[in-house]
Amino acid sequence: MPPRAKARARAETVAPSPRPELSREFVAVHKRRRIMDAIAELTAEQGYDATKIGDIVRRAGVARKTLYDNFEGKEEVFLAAFDAAVDEAMRRIEEDCAKVEGGWEERVQAGLASFLGYVAEEPALARMCMIEALSATKAATERYEDAVQRFVDLTKQNVPHDDQLPETIEETLVGGVAWIVYQQIRRQETEKAEDLLPELSEFMLAPFHGAADAAAKRAGA
Amino acid sequence: MEVERLPRGRHGLSREFVAQNQRERLLAALAECLHENGYDGTTVSMVGKRAGVSKSDFYKQFESKDVCFLAAYDDSVERIRARVLAACGGGADWATGVLTGLAALLDLLAAEPAQAQLVLVEGLRAGRGVYDRYQEALQSFVPRLRDGAPAPAGGDPPPPATDEAVVGGIASLLARRVLAGEAEKLGEFLPEIAEFALTPYLGATEARRIISER
Repeated sequence: MPPRAKARARAETVAPSPRPELSREFVAVHKRRRIMDAIAELTAEQGYDATKIGDIVRRAGVARKTLYDNFEGKEEVFLAAFDAAVDEAMRRIEEDCAKVEGGWEERVQAGLASFLGYVAEEPALARMCMIEALSATKAATERYEDAVQRFVDLTKQNVPHDDQLPETIEETLVGGVAWIVYQQIRRQETEKAEDLLPELSEFMLAPFHGAADAAAKRAGA
Repeated sequence: MEVERLPRGRHGLSREFVAQNQRERLLAALAECLHENGYDGTTVSMVGKRAGVSKSDFYKQFESKDVCFLAAYDDSVERIRARVLAACGGGADWATGVLTGLAALLDLLAAEPAQAQLVLVEGLRAGRGVYDRYQEALQSFVPRLRDGAPAPAGGDPPPPATDEAVVGGIASLLARRVLAGEAEKLGEFLPEIAEFALTPYLGATEARRIISER
């Protein structure tokens, strides 16, 4: 079979024509999802620049037209995949934080564990969001910084407030954690991401102990 | 970074000297073009024009925009590193060394926003070839922070990932401010960044004392 026909045949096996039991909407959402998954895998494997529309549709098993019906082009696919991954990470982290019955330290630790667990579970998404986004396009870099800001805000919500600490403390802590994880992704050791938990917890919690100790003393006095 | 243009016409300067001067001008021009137009928007003719170097002389120096870019990146990182490490060495002890090194870093980046943009933000857009360089550049500051760092009084030394996390956290904050177009104001962050860097090793009280005495 010539490669094109082979690809088409594969596309057909991956994406069966809508059967009566699958609603049109379900199929559409599913195809969109597959396109986003495909760009995540491909950029993780070969980088954003090297990834072409043809690669994406082939990997996703959809028609080129389907991609363009859903997205303006490669950048929009990338940004949508990026957003979906960050939303999912945030959702899991918030959910795990909410389950914690202990104090702020346990909450931060649970959030961090949840984040590292996501990285371990989804190495391609982690690589796309934390490495390739920085080199993809200007909009992707900005999106990356917006995502960092979401983590910064989430940290702020969960740690005790201390006037004496630098105003940028949460930003530098989140940036520091991101850098350690970045290197682990580059070493292709994401399956070990959860091993970082004890060290990164201590790194993130340490600056806030002063405020927490003082608060505990006031409460005890 | 200002590199002076040479006089036109007959000037009796050696060929090597002219080539070296052109090279430096091209590297500086590339950083400025990236700052203004981003990586994708920068072309060889733009860089040549800005440097006052013909396109054919550009190609005598560099095979392509990418090669010129990597040379500019290395050159920029090397200048920043040399300046920061020299400043660190001037400190009387570990803590003042770190503090003066950070001050030198922020001053340099604030004075040369195009270099800050090149090294911290726009440079990464050149793709995978830069990842190793960026990582090496950051990691090269780690031993400077780790070696000679005291353990906080009465406490255990910070966990091993701390040194790298501190360096990465600072780089992340700087990149965010540069991306927001605030490179010129980086100097204002010295007390905050220094406290972030020194506290894991000295405790917050001692870190604040040293910073306030500067």
